[in-house]
Amino acid sequence: MTAVLTPDAPHAAPATGLLGWLTTTDHKKIGISYMVTAFGFFMIGGALAELIRAQLWSPGSTLVSASTYNQLFTMHGSIMMYLFIVPFAVGLGNYIVPLHIGAKEMAFPRLNALGYWLYLLGGLTMISGFLTADGAADFGWTAYAPLSGSSRTPSVGADLWLIAIVLTGLAGVLASVNIVATVLAMRAPGMSMFRMPIFTWNMLVTSILVLIAFPVLTSATFMLLADRLLGGHIFDPAAGGVPILWQHLFWFFGHPEVYIAALPFFGVVTEVLPVFSKRPVFGYVGLVFATMFIAAFAVGVWAHHMFATGAVEVAFFSGLSFLIAVPTGVKFFNWIGTMWGGNLSFGAPMLFALGFLVLFLLGGLTGVLLASVSVDLQATDTYFVVAHMHYVLFGGSAFALFAAIYFWYPKFTGKRLHEGWARVHFALMFIGFNLTFAVQHELGLQGMPRRVVTYPDNALLTNLNRISTVGAALLGVSTLPFLWNVYRTWRRGEPAGDNPWDGHTLEWATTSPPPPHNFDSLPPIRSNRPVWDLNHPDHQSPQGHAR
Amino acid sequence: MDREPALARRRWWIIAILPVVIALGTLAGFALGGGGIPSFGMPDPVTEQGRRTHTLWQVLFIAAIGVGALVWALIAWSVLRYRGRGDTERMPSQKAYNIPMEIVYTVAPIIAIIAIFIGTVIVQNKNSALSAAPDVRIEVTGYQWQWKFDYPADGVTIIGTSEPGADPEIVLPVDATIRFDLKTTDVIHSFWVPRFLTKRDLIPGVHNEIDVHTTATGTFDGRCAEFCGINHATMNFVVRVVPRAEYEQWITEHQR
Repeated sequence: MTAVLTPDAPHAAPATGLLGWLTTTDHKKIGISYMVTAFGFFMIGGALAELIRAQLWSPGSTLVSASTYNQLFTMHGSIMMYLFIVPFAVGLGNYIVPLHIGAKEMAFPRLNALGYWLYLLGGLTMISGFLTADGAADFGWTAYAPLSGSSRTPSVGADLWLIAIVLTGLAGVLASVNIVATVLAMRAPGMSMFRMPIFTWNMLVTSILVLIAFPVLTSATFMLLADRLLGGHIFDPAAGGVPILWQHLFWFFGHPEVYIAALPFFGVVTEVLPVFSKRPVFGYVGLVFATMFIAAFAVGVWAHHMFATGAVEVAFFSGLSFLIAVPTGVKFFNWIGTMWGGNLSFGAPMLFALGFLVLFLLGGLTGVLLASVSVDLQATDTYFVVAHMHYVLFGGSAFALFAAIYFWYPKFTGKRLHEGWARVHFALMFIGFNLTFAVQHELGLQGMPRRVVTYPDNALLTNLNRISTVGAALLGVSTLPFLWNVYRTWRRGEPAGDNPWDGHTLEWATTSPPPPHNFDSLPPIRSNRPVWDLNHPDHQSPQGHAR
Repeated sequence: MDREPALARRRWWIIAILPVVIALGTLAGFALGGGGIPSFGMPDPVTEQGRRTHTLWQVLFIAAIGVGALVWALIAWSVLRYRGRGDTERMPSQKAYNIPMEIVYTVAPIIAIIAIFIGTVIVQNKNSALSAAPDVRIEVTGYQWQWKFDYPADGVTIIGTSEPGADPEIVLPVDATIRFDLKTTDVIHSFWVPRFLTKRDLIPGVHNEIDVHTTATGTFDGRCAEFCGINHATMNFVVRVVPRAEYEQWITEHQR
């Protein structure tokens, strides 16, 4: 005991460059890693979607074989759901949540790094199925038993898919534990729960949903792996197993999953709208409770995916599904109320947030139609559902995801993406998206099931499919101006400054990008928008007591 | 808050209200045009159950158009009326709550939801009711990747073959209640005739039955709607609904 380390003792110099990224526990670097990796998977999943749409250009097309086609739609859905939209939200949460609450790190930095590497490993495991002799998994992203059993789907790609679900599921649980602990334990003085930005509230609620839903999927996946590899009979009807059990377990995960993929992006929109309207969030407390109600209902509606099984109590699940429309409607009125009476400007984040409002509304309305059992029995398992789900997850979540990128890119990098290219990106994406998916509503109702490599040769189905394929090509092209924008901004972007949008929340109180410890000093936190209060002393938010 | 001339404000109101006007105008056009209420993409039903679903769909779709148009109009109004016109320094109202309005926009959807839930349950109870004495019983067996249809009372069996363009065809009498008894011998399939406006899964370990009451003659496509493996897309069949006499004749011709 000759030397006593003082708190000021210098640490070993942090590694830089590649080694720095591989060994980092900085929540910001891990967050960027998540987002960049997820975006890479988005482009892979998007490429698969383009092949799907190319195959459906004509009935009887032989561009790809039925076997390849089944791998394409399985991996498209799996990549987008498991490897893109949710991990991107996790990455964004990782980066933003500590900044939002004035913390210098996540609660468990090393666990955070472990979660990212498990996710990357799981993602690579899943797509490595394409390298095996029989190709990747081909039973749909829902992997229904008994089709997913070893006798019907013997491929190694299927096992790799299941192992990937376990790995990425574990990654999601670790990330969620970390976000819950961070929000509950790491908030700066003055940052009471009801002063937290809505995005951070939504990440908290999302994380709780992950902790409820993901372990069920992981368990079900282990059960299916036991059936496939260890001779189990859990889902094997020939040996007394119960195939429909898989659907219950899967959708007990799968429906909360939809909200896990949506709530973070509702949060993004709720950050963008007030800043670009120069207004506070309208009905903040109601909005928080609406989020909680959505999450609570989300775990009680799984069987609305199973109306056609004839094996569930349809009225209960229909009624509860309808009820979700109420808190979701409340959110819409909150968003409109935020803009109402404001002074709106239309930077790129605002454009994408408005795109979200317009498109997600349509996805929500078709969701209400689908909750009506008789209508669902016609529309389920058809392109109507494909269209509905893409309006929610692409028109909704993905538009908000791009709003998030344009909004926080200056914070991530210190440079601001080019507005003109952003507008080109938005216009192409908006038109391409609607061309692709609007017509699919009618395709489904008129008799085209989902997951088909071909369709009956009639003029109506062929024409609608062709419109959809043209739209998909445009949608694919829309990514190019975005990538160019990122590249040119990286090469010669204009410095953005610390607070380019006149932001409201704490991330705008630090430098762009923030230092490793995030904040040199914090402004007083007396409302849910401390930076606004600091910059507009004459128009501060009402400073109620800390709730 | 700045005040604008009343005339200018009225103009924004007109633009923002456009979605509502177009929606209402379209509906009124259909109603007055004598074409009746349109199908909104849904095929014309050929069963009693399908007719109920079709009506429910029309009601819900119109309600959805109404809600959608209202919300889009509010969004458009906010964007047009409150867009900044270079006066970035103008400070808008910082009021963040309006409790009475928040109560209204929470309670109003609940009332709407209750109404459509009641409609849903009424239609679904009628549609899922099974007749005590169906006119025809057909046992439907799905397997990878074909269909087998048995008429047990008449000793008729139709088995699909894998020949392209030779989908198995079943014949039903018109104006009769048909019971479909749905079974699978392997994975999950789904029995779907789009013109019936319904489908039901064939699941190992689950015994599913549906009734349809035919109301129109014609030839209708049917297909498997639950992904079931490599030839799922071509697991099709044909339903031909004919007058009773023609049906009896077909049965006689196909008896073993």
